[in-house]
Amino acid sequence: MNKVAFTSRNLYLQVLLILVLILLVALPFYTSAYNIMLLCNILMYIIITVSWVLFSGPTGYISLASAAFFGVGIYTSAVLGQSLPLPLVIIIGGLFSFFLALLVGVITLRLRGMYFSIFTFGLVELVKHFLLWWEITKTNTRGRFVILVNYIHVFYIMLAIFLVLLLIAYLIRRSKYGLALQSIGEYEEAAAHIGINVTLLKVVTFAVSSFFIGTVGAVMATRWTYIDPVIAFDPFYSFMPVLMAIFGGMGQLYGPVIGAAIFAYLEEALITRFPYHYMLIFGIIMVVSILYLPEGLIGLLQKLWKIINSGRLAVYREKRQKRGTGREQENA
Amino acid sequence: MVKKYIVPLVICLILFMALFAGCTQPSTTPAPPSEPKTGGEQEPEPPKPEKDKIVFGSVHSISGPLAIIEEAAFGPIRNLWFKDVNERGGIYVEEYGKKLPVELIEYDDKSDIGTMTRLLEKLILEDKVDFILPPTGTAMLYAAGPVANKHGYILPGMSGGATTIKEIIGGLPYFFSNLNFSDTQVPAFGELVSELGVKSAAVVFIEDLHGVEYSGAVVPEMVLRGVDVAFVKSIPQGIQDMSAIIKEAKAADVDAFLCLAYPDENILCVSQSMELGFNPKLMIFGPGVCYTFFKDIFGDEGVEGLMSWGAWNGKSTPESQELIDKIGVANVDWWGHNLYWAGMQMLEKSIEKAGTLDQSVVREIMATETFDTVLGPTYYDENRMLAAECHTGEVGQWQSGQFEVIGPKNKATAEPIYPKPPWPGQ
Amino acid sequence: MVIEIIDIFLSGLLMGGIYALIAVGLSMQYGVARVLNVSHGEFIMLGAFFTWSLYTYCNINPLLTLVICGPVMLLIGFVLHKTLYRSIRISSGGGAAFEGNSMLASFGLLFVIQNMAILIWGASIKGYSYLAFPVNMGGVIFPANRLVTLLFAVIISVAFYLFLARTRLGKAIRAAAQDPDAAGLMGVNINQVLALCFGLGAMMAGLAGTLLSMSFRVQPTMGLEYTLIAIIVVVLGGLGSIPGSFIGGFILGLIGSIVSAIEPSLSLVAYYMLFMILLLVKPTGILGR
Repeated sequence: MNKVAFTSRNLYLQVLLILVLILLVALPFYTSAYNIMLLCNILMYIIITVSWVLFSGPTGYISLASAAFFGVGIYTSAVLGQSLPLPLVIIIGGLFSFFLALLVGVITLRLRGMYFSIFTFGLVELVKHFLLWWEITKTNTRGRFVILVNYIHVFYIMLAIFLVLLLIAYLIRRSKYGLALQSIGEYEEAAAHIGINVTLLKVVTFAVSSFFIGTVGAVMATRWTYIDPVIAFDPFYSFMPVLMAIFGGMGQLYGPVIGAAIFAYLEEALITRFPYHYMLIFGIIMVVSILYLPEGLIGLLQKLWKIINSGRLAVYREKRQKRGTGREQENA
Repeated sequence: MVKKYIVPLVICLILFMALFAGCTQPSTTPAPPSEPKTGGEQEPEPPKPEKDKIVFGSVHSISGPLAIIEEAAFGPIRNLWFKDVNERGGIYVEEYGKKLPVELIEYDDKSDIGTMTRLLEKLILEDKVDFILPPTGTAMLYAAGPVANKHGYILPGMSGGATTIKEIIGGLPYFFSNLNFSDTQVPAFGELVSELGVKSAAVVFIEDLHGVEYSGAVVPEMVLRGVDVAFVKSIPQGIQDMSAIIKEAKAADVDAFLCLAYPDENILCVSQSMELGFNPKLMIFGPGVCYTFFKDIFGDEGVEGLMSWGAWNGKSTPESQELIDKIGVANVDWWGHNLYWAGMQMLEKSIEKAGTLDQSVVREIMATETFDTVLGPTYYDENRMLAAECHTGEVGQWQSGQFEVIGPKNKATAEPIYPKPPWPGQ
Repeated sequence: MVIEIIDIFLSGLLMGGIYALIAVGLSMQYGVARVLNVSHGEFIMLGAFFTWSLYTYCNINPLLTLVICGPVMLLIGFVLHKTLYRSIRISSGGGAAFEGNSMLASFGLLFVIQNMAILIWGASIKGYSYLAFPVNMGGVIFPANRLVTLLFAVIISVAFYLFLARTRLGKAIRAAAQDPDAAGLMGVNINQVLALCFGLGAMMAGLAGTLLSMSFRVQPTMGLEYTLIAIIVVVLGGLGSIPGSFIGGFILGLIGSIVSAIEPSLSLVAYYMLFMILLLVKPTGILGR
């Protein structure tokens, strides 16, 4: 009897999920162009943040290399965008990031904690300056133009990447790999002892998460129209996912999504309304939210959820207790 | 187990939707009540024939690394123009049969190119501004070019420029370039070098658009003029210590030292040259030296004899002094303020002449006519770049607290000081 | 040749002195108080602006400002930890959650301070010339103001080290750095000590800002680059090790000066490159445990 209730509720949720998806897909037909662009930007932050959490969330390795992978995507798009079709460019951008991450992952195996973070941050600067040097001395270009792509296409591509990423993140979390990653975060030596191939798992997850950041970079470059290495490898994009993930809360999959969405939207709203004071207001909001929401936004949501559910839960428990006593009587 | 994850997932998607619906609603209704507009007042939507003001939109860098340039160069002159036009009662537009005051909607792009292009499209698509103004700096301007062109908006490019613009301007009919850069400045500098009899030089350039372009143009020019170039070195943005380069130049005992970099590095270079007692006969720097804050840092004696690109001053044209008085001499950017002002004047006069706010009509007039501006008779050449004859100067030099034009010869307001006097107190 | 080598070595020390001072401050905040204070550079910026304002408007000697700026920053840092970071520490229950949350709060602080500085002083570059003349020491030329900076940086750092090594309070701080809980059990007033550490870190930043302003430009966005350098040095020296940070600062200065003597365009990338190589060889920093 329990099972019946479960499946019906599941079905209901699935329908809702599909409904939301349809609404999102249909968005360009009923909203203004700027909103779509804003949503693209929000999606960009969400994808970067969720990818970041994919690796750094469970393992506890704080990577500051997001900007490097993002920049690799952007640069791929700038270099290849003129000659290759966009989907191919996006995948190549992702693959370049993937291989860069594999390389970095293999090199940084010994590093832990802050040492790993700073190393990955150094990577951003290293790639940036290497490209600068390369562009100036070898290719003799100073900045590159990227072909402008229709924002609606960009939106759908972003949405697709987002959905694929959510699916993969969800599957990883559910699978034994998710548990293995979690165990690395808790006690790496122990994880290795119980037979988890720690090295392989870490490196591959890192690379997969970088793949998505790379693809987003390749897509977003088409909205930026002009880039050079300094623009493409902005360390800002290394810090943002960390902040957004903490802001949203990392315990659940939806935490970073909400965190990134609200963070990005808030920033845009403030920047357009208070161009001269937005940093001040933004900073105060950050400080206040961390003071009152130490577990991030999901902490707040979970509390709310509990309050809403407490009534229903009480009823449910009562029912179950009754059932239990009934069964006991039968047995007797 | 699926349930455990799907519940939160759905919640997050719903929240996401709700959030998005929140920002969607205003735009679907014709008169958005909560639309972000500075000042809070609303204007009627475009289709209405009645119009009581012309709205200009500008995305520029109020925060971030580019804010220095915005605050020292483009901000003051932009605000002055709006004040000035409104004091005159506005711009006369025949279509509406009256003078319309001008209004500015401004956004901050945090010196981030993605934010800039997005907000620029917001200005065009959502705020439906009548005209847009350029963002801060060359890279930003380049990124804004295709966006403005796509929507058929005139982009007056007063905030930057480089030779690479020639490669793309053909495909961007709405892009106008106002600032002068290396292709006119370097030949003028070359002339100056020959005239002063410079024998040897050292070149340092920043690893960026500006540095690569200028060093690429200057070095061949110097070699052509028989100057012995001791070394050409590049420096990264954000360098902390230039003493090694300065000591090397000092050891080579060069006549001229060229630092083709941005304000940060130029200031570092001047202060370290001062501290290390390096005083060549000629020193020329990239942007920054022509700004007033540079003089504030080192004082009149400290900047005496330093050269930079530019240039203009009160003696350049009859109207120049009037403009300087309006800006206030303490806020002038001696490279581009008059070019910026001329760009705005040309836009204003084109609107007046067109008698409409239609971009393509205004563009046509702007691209073909000659206007009377602070530069004198002013026009764009066939590439929609400000004609070289209209420039008020290419090379400038600080002389007793005044930024004087010293090159080319026919536009000079003063004789160059050569060799450069010693640093104060040395 | 010998003179050139001495030259490179000494200019490295001149930069290194500043780096060391900044890093020792951050080391106090991150190594002991466990706050990865991303707004460390903003305190440097405040110190620099402070000095610049006093010099240009009141004509007060920058070296005198050290005496004013230090205590003011100490107080600001102390109060900040007492109010903000302490509540975060309580609400997030220490450990990794506290590190993340305090970093987020520091970012908020960075935005607030930077925006306030832009509103007060404007976004453009400030600066002044103080002791801007060369000093010739046996054929090697040095800027007077940077020599003074190095001198004061070393004096401050050594005084600070003695304070940590010789006084009771210093012992308490070192105990707290090793294990805050155990130190608390041993009778150390942990909240007071952590707040003091944070305050001392802010003080070092302020003093560094004052010294920096004598030879470098001053602007509201200058903070982050120094924060990054400080973080690098702290990690290079080994987390939680004050002497490590001190030595790390000088090493970074030397690296920069050697590389910029050979190829200036690589001077910034060299920091990261050598740092990364060093981490790969010794993953816990020079004096790390």
